[in-house]
Amino acid sequence: MFKGVGNPSTTLRTRLVSHRWLWPAVGVFIILLILPPLAPRFYVYIFALIFVTALLAMSLNLTVGYGGLFQFHHSVFYGVGAYTLALMLTKTSLPMWVGFIAGPIMAAVVGLFIGWFCVRLSQLYFGMLQISLGSLIWAIVFRWYTFTGGDDGIHGIPRPPILSSSNRAYYFILFALVICLVAMYIIVKSPFGATLQAVRDNPQRCEAVGINVRRHQLMAIVIATFFAGVAGVLFVVLERSVFPSLLFWTLSLEIFIMCLLGGWFTFAGPMLGAAIIVALRTFVGKYTEYWTLVLGVILILLIFFLPEGVMGYFLRIGGSANRRIGESGKGAG
Amino acid sequence: MLGQSFSFAALASQFLVGLSRAMILFVVCAGLSFVLGVLRVPNVAHGALYMIGAFSAYSISTLLGSSPAGFWLTLILAPLVVALVSLIAERALFCHLYQREHLMLLLFTFALSLILGDLVKLVWGATYRSVLAPAFLRGSFPIFGSAFPRYNLFLLVIGPLVAIGLWLFVNKTKMGKISRAAAVDREMVGALGINVSWVFAAAFVIGCYLAGLGGALVAPTISITLGMDHNIIIEAFLIVTIGGLGNIWGALVGSLIFGVTQSLGVLFWPQFAIVFPYTAVVVVLLLRPTGLLRSVW
Amino acid sequence: MKKLFVFTILTLVVLTSLVACGPQKAERPIKVGIIDTYSGPPAVYAEDALNGFKLALDEINKEGVLGTTIEYTTRDEQFKPDVALSMAKELVLNEEVDLLVGTINSAAALAISEYAKEEKVPFIVWISKSEKITGEQGHRYVFSTGENTAMAGKAGASALAQKPYTKYWIAGDDYEYGHAIGDSVQRNLKALKPDVEVIGESWWKTGEPDLIPYLTAITAAKPDAVIFCAGGASMTNVLKALKATGMSEQVPIWIHTATDHAVLKPLGAEAPEGVMGTMDYHFYYPDTPENQAFVKAFEEAYGSSPGFPAFHGYITARFIAEAFKKAGALDKEKFIDALEGLKIASPAGGELEMRACDHQAVLPMYLGVTKKVPEYDFLISSDIVTVSGDGVMPTCDEIKAVRGE
Repeated sequence: MFKGVGNPSTTLRTRLVSHRWLWPAVGVFIILLILPPLAPRFYVYIFALIFVTALLAMSLNLTVGYGGLFQFHHSVFYGVGAYTLALMLTKTSLPMWVGFIAGPIMAAVVGLFIGWFCVRLSQLYFGMLQISLGSLIWAIVFRWYTFTGGDDGIHGIPRPPILSSSNRAYYFILFALVICLVAMYIIVKSPFGATLQAVRDNPQRCEAVGINVRRHQLMAIVIATFFAGVAGVLFVVLERSVFPSLLFWTLSLEIFIMCLLGGWFTFAGPMLGAAIIVALRTFVGKYTEYWTLVLGVILILLIFFLPEGVMGYFLRIGGSANRRIGESGKGAG
Repeated sequence: MLGQSFSFAALASQFLVGLSRAMILFVVCAGLSFVLGVLRVPNVAHGALYMIGAFSAYSISTLLGSSPAGFWLTLILAPLVVALVSLIAERALFCHLYQREHLMLLLFTFALSLILGDLVKLVWGATYRSVLAPAFLRGSFPIFGSAFPRYNLFLLVIGPLVAIGLWLFVNKTKMGKISRAAAVDREMVGALGINVSWVFAAAFVIGCYLAGLGGALVAPTISITLGMDHNIIIEAFLIVTIGGLGNIWGALVGSLIFGVTQSLGVLFWPQFAIVFPYTAVVVVLLLRPTGLLRSVW
Repeated sequence: MKKLFVFTILTLVVLTSLVACGPQKAERPIKVGIIDTYSGPPAVYAEDALNGFKLALDEINKEGVLGTTIEYTTRDEQFKPDVALSMAKELVLNEEVDLLVGTINSAAALAISEYAKEEKVPFIVWISKSEKITGEQGHRYVFSTGENTAMAGKAGASALAQKPYTKYWIAGDDYEYGHAIGDSVQRNLKALKPDVEVIGESWWKTGEPDLIPYLTAITAAKPDAVIFCAGGASMTNVLKALKATGMSEQVPIWIHTATDHAVLKPLGAEAPEGVMGTMDYHFYYPDTPENQAFVKAFEEAYGSSPGFPAFHGYITARFIAEAFKKAGALDKEKFIDALEGLKIASPAGGELEMRACDHQAVLPMYLGVTKKVPEYDFLISSDIVTVSGDGVMPTCDEIKAVRGE
């Protein structure tokens, strides 16, 4: 279903310097750095929310775009990361930074557990098993009122004193996002990343040359769920609340759509998809109560006129076909 | 609760109740499975079409009344409304995408589900609707000492009828055989001179018709609200997966498992009902990773 | 070319919406930001509440408040608490509303309440029934104009304690509201009648359409009476299933909001009779001139009879207007001080007070039984017993204790 090749042979440094997108990306970063003092508080909040969602979408794409896996319930790991931090901050008196580290680790542990079962299955079965196992975890969080707050969630979670203002929270989230993006980029361009994409494209051939397909897929899942856990921790910093809806399948579907919308076979596509969906939801919702209708129409327009997603379109008109991680294959199953 | 012992009568009547619920699930999931088998696309809009079937049944039955004639006409007309909607969506938009990646088709059905969901809100509004069963199907009568609703008995009859109808269609009609062939090898079907696009259109419309029929059948038993689509779609996908992708009879087996597990589970552990469907799926998929029956592809 | 065109249109749309939503500058009407669920099953309640609110605003804005009018803007949270919180932030930071109002979703209400406390913006909850809102998680900046599970539970228990039943079964939607009502009734009932015993519980997923298996299982266990803890669309499903199995004729049943018009109307004459229920508003009771006038105005404006959300929405608008008038200025702190202990005229007749110690409106509860009557083609609540608000609310001391003050 996914086709394409990576390019592992050149060194990391030459690839970084030779990429034309590096300088525009730095430019965007500088604009984002100087945003808080200049822009209204609301924009600082919305951009921070976009950063968190973008990180979540990027983490999903490690499994979907690069791994070719049907990761249908990724939001569970996001929720686990968020709840871990929330519970540690409200129920224990451990230093706050312990929670920040525990969140992603817990998410990765759950990812390892669920992933171990899922990699035994393929394609749609993988996805459905993940939905079922993930939903069991959702049900536990949803029902355990005394511990997790049940479907009311947990509110008024304290922030560490260093992050006490919304501007500081914004910078923390921005820096966390950038660090994670750099880490993810290094991972996908590494030999592991190349092998992962090879496994995505042709698992049988990889098995034949002695690559352990399941182990690679499982590692991809653990990495991806770790980053999802980071996104969950950042959510708590931003919103100071957690809800069981963070672990519900509708959010997983939404993140999936963000990846498809932005272009799942590009590195930065999911970020763009996340930005578009959050912006649409916030701003279109003011004018009409039928904003899902608007989203549906926009998606259909995009499917017909921008089939490689928004990022794919950008890259194509920029003439940089070799920066994409794969071509969009034609319909055959 | 666990220690409570149940009479055979209680177990039997509970089993029958689960079976009747499974019939509606089967009708809906058969449609989903059929589309999945032939077009190889999970139709995310299936839930929204089911919802439109229920709302259409409401409107039609309000017009025609709940006499037996009105009831049968509603059961015939409401799914046709859904089939029409799906035909329009297919010919206008969907058919142009058949050459594309599967993920694009999935994205399309998702976008369609958003649009149809809001369309229902636009046309019918947010108030709860209710459809009355016709007089001869109201009330209950005792089976195994428990009150068994008459309408559920009706479902126990209709379900197998739909199954037989589907079997006849798929195995005995030309259209059915072509669909089965297209599910397995669409290129060969095209090479035989058959217009594959029309085969897909027919398969899609039939699958959506079944969704609408499920909605029309379920209408007298529940309150018809917005959001019905979300409730059914996840169950439908889980059932279709454990049954074996694209296999209609797998959908039947999956629906039976779901329905009966739910109703018997409710008897023994009623506090934990929300986890039953997921537990059933986990158990099945761990034991039979490719579903219970053979998948079509 | 086609692609470039579509892309340009999209960019323009996104950019325009980003630009167009800057903070509005104008002369100063009073701005109310409403967050609620306008999609999915709860939408019918949210719309009812909004209609009641709008009806009151039409009357209020004729004479004006503090020389200006009250305006409102709504946001759809789609029953997702994280979206609700996001929208609350947008309303406060971007639209710069003077106060927030909402919502039917308890988790959203609690999350927004925390945010309102942080930003020092008053927040009035009008449909959510969680007792935590004005109970253990209550604070200066949150108010409630709806009844909550503590009140409903006490009212239900007072009705049931007078009946001879001892073995109860509790069943309902598996979410906080369901469990809260269940706990509240149990607690109060055991306090009034210690020999009461709960012999079992059933919890189905919220919005579960097929309740027949649950009902047949409960009947098999032979309880003396059943307490259903369902909300919204589930209520209608419960009533339908009760009628289909004939259970309501065999086993006594109590459901909070069973007698709600939004639930009984769609079922028409097919709703089950003899089901006990509690409600804090009926459009047909009490049959005072004020209630009749209110119902008539509502029906003329919206074509349907008002339900309890419309009642809450209406009194919310009245409380807002009267509090600003009493405060004498567009100041949030003065508004809160004025609202505490404020009494307004109830559209159903009599007076309503916003209790100062917990910011909860003191609402009477009407206990009744569903019954068919010739005047309407739906069932209504009959044999109504009124319990005053003071009789069902926790005392101020209990509230202080639960808030840890």
